Amino acid sequence: MTPIHWSLAGAAIALVTLTLLVVGNRRLGVSSGLEDICSLVLDQPFYKRGAVTSGRPWRLPFLGGLLLGGFLSAVLGGGWSPTWALGMLDRAAGLGHGAKLAWMFAGGILTGFGTRLANGCTSGHGIFGNANFEWPSLVASCCFMVSGVLTTQIVYRVVFP
Amino acid sequence: MMSVFYLALGTIFGFVLSRSGAADYDFIQGMFLFERFQLYGILATGVAITASGLWLVKKQARTLTGEPITIERKAFNRGTVAGSLLFGVGWSLTGMCPGPILVNIGEGKVYALAALAGALVGAALFGAAYETLQKPFGLPPLKKVSPGRAA
Repeated sequence: MTPIHWSLAGAAIALVTLTLLVVGNRRLGVSSGLEDICSLVLDQPFYKRGAVTSGRPWRLPFLGGLLLGGFLSAVLGGGWSPTWALGMLDRAAGLGHGAKLAWMFAGGILTGFGTRLANGCTSGHGIFGNANFEWPSLVASCCFMVSGVLTTQIVYRVVFP
Repeated sequence: MMSVFYLALGTIFGFVLSRSGAADYDFIQGMFLFERFQLYGILATGVAITASGLWLVKKQARTLTGEPITIERKAFNRGTVAGSLLFGVGWSLTGMCPGPILVNIGEGKVYALAALAGALVGAALFGAAYETLQKPFGLPPLKKVSPGRAA
């Protein structure tokens, strides 16, 4: 399927971000939602602080919406069915199911730990922080772009050329 | 009632991420290989329009219901650099940043469940180790940590 033009997609993301602020008085951020999910089962002081408990009423439904949006996209785009297909990685490495799960789990740990240590991800730093001219967000964005570029270059030009 | 609104906003966000390539493994690798412009275009447009919108919002400084808007800015510490470097590796390996992990699960990508499990374990490890990490990374005291709250 032809993807939505980048300018339209960027405009839609900006509209969601601004609506969230103007209606809900909330600053866009997805990775803090990982803490909200953890806080449902973990009870360390870290998860009892106001920043987590006050954000749950909006972040948890918002995260649910992300699931639903992906689901609707698949349903309307030719039907939903579970898949293991992984594009370039399949062609380059031909991993089995177990290896894919391990690969994704390892990457996920880095994403979960890293975004919490950095206090933001592509949405909170990349979109909102940069748009609000917050220099720590610009530093964060440069850092995750650089390490992303290096990792992909190593994976596709050195390990699986 | 408001949770339906947030669910709807998340749904639109997820749908757009899904249909624009922002939640697609090949598009993410294409960005990091400098072979596809799509993601750079999305980020640049998203930031530019949000920035213009924020300028207007700040003049108004109120929500539609009249509540004052005060945007909390993110602080800088050593964790900003170290954490983002780690996250970039995770984003490259999985081809998903946090939002798209959920979008991919919704789309039916089975392996994305492992990425979510990993992300939750990673976040839980961070929470468990917070007091140990606080000093070396210059993280704020617990009560001051506030992820992503606008006001």
